[in-house]
Amino acid sequence: MDESALIRHAANGDASAWEPLVLAHQQAVFRLAYLLLGDPDDAEDTAQETFLRAWNHLKRFDQTRPLRPWLLSIAANLARNRRRSAGRYLAALTRAFRNEPIPATVEEKSAQYMEANDLWKAVQSLSMSDQQIVYLRYFLDLSVAETAEVLQVVEGTVKSRLSRALEKLRVIIKQEFPVFAERREGHES
Amino acid sequence: MSELERELFEKQLLTIAKGLDYPRTPDIAGSVMTRLRASTRPRFITRKLAWSLTIILILFSSLMLIPPARAAIIEFIQIGIVRIFPRPTEPPIDAIQTATPESIVPTTATPSLPSATLIPSLSRIAGKTTLADAQQKVNYSILLPAYPPDLGQPDYVFLQDAEGAMTILVWLDPRQPDRVLMSLHFIPAGSWAIDKSEPAVIEETNVNGQRAIWAVGPYPLRLSNGDLDFTRLIDGNVLIWADGNITYRLETNQPLEEAIKITESLKSIP
Repeated sequence: MDESALIRHAANGDASAWEPLVLAHQQAVFRLAYLLLGDPDDAEDTAQETFLRAWNHLKRFDQTRPLRPWLLSIAANLARNRRRSAGRYLAALTRAFRNEPIPATVEEKSAQYMEANDLWKAVQSLSMSDQQIVYLRYFLDLSVAETAEVLQVVEGTVKSRLSRALEKLRVIIKQEFPVFAERREGHES
Repeated sequence: MSELERELFEKQLLTIAKGLDYPRTPDIAGSVMTRLRASTRPRFITRKLAWSLTIILILFSSLMLIPPARAAIIEFIQIGIVRIFPRPTEPPIDAIQTATPESIVPTTATPSLPSATLIPSLSRIAGKTTLADAQQKVNYSILLPAYPPDLGQPDYVFLQDAEGAMTILVWLDPRQPDRVLMSLHFIPAGSWAIDKSEPAVIEETNVNGQRAIWAVGPYPLRLSNGDLDFTRLIDGNVLIWADGNITYRLETNQPLEEAIKITESLKSIP
């Protein structure tokens, strides 16, 4: 059964049709939430909430459109709310009181990971809306059209917002991540 | 940035971003389907079902009139906005053997993985501010402990504005600066509802003559307001008391006696 048929069945209350759709999109939704929140527990909760909310509002969803941008849009909204919430703070405290071990040092990770992690840190210095567009386009590898669907703007707006975000990102990388910038310039030359 | 530079930069971003080490995607489909199946109800209630529901409601109402059953249904300790649901006094033996606090956590409460240090987590929480700014924005007095004498000012101050401004002060452990020593929460009435289920220890005590509750984790804690609903496993010791419209929570690894000394030393910001 194709995606639109599954959506139609799910919208009529067939939960078994919803399961393959969740399976198909759970990774993208979880990863976007993780990028925006930086915490796997928060990301998992947000991803679950995303699929439950989508299920509850499926009747209102335009079934001719692809599902993924709509799900990512819900996930981004929930993640933004969660960043403002006290639940997130309590989760951090819980970890602290449990005295959990510090994860592996950056040196122990591969060079590729280090580079990607530096990039992620640099993106985190951008505003939330700039972060979101960068994550969607470059980290989740969405096309400009899909990014526009998620953000509910036209493609031209995505391009201009991306252009501004990239300018800011380049400055941040140069100023705050000089090693990363050098590595990047090395690749260019 | 020229068009060419931009294209090159974009290509690099796409390549580098692919190398990010994401945590394994959990079984979200499984959890979602469990929650859906638990909550799915027929959309249209038939006449027969309506009668059954009426009977159940009547039975339930009757049950509420019988003192022991009523106590079993609604018994909880309320202090300020916090409701604590104690363990049943005489649980069945099977329940004692099998019902650990973890097992009663709903599927939304996911135990934390050892994947993040505290400081990055705290630094990414919204609402970080200064004591002076927080005090200016809230309509209650933010209090600071004078005990222990070397405690000093909090390392972090958060103002969580969600239908009422909750203030959270955090002190880090000077010997392990990536760990929290204690935190103090000021929660105004009418903002959040907080439910704790079956803490390992619940003890009634006093803070400056006011009734207080001492709860020892682990236990699931549910926070909810109009828009948000979270359940989390809390693993610390918590002293809760209320004064007027404010509920206070002191979360710490210290024993009760120390926690009381800390709370009884609270004073307004000079």
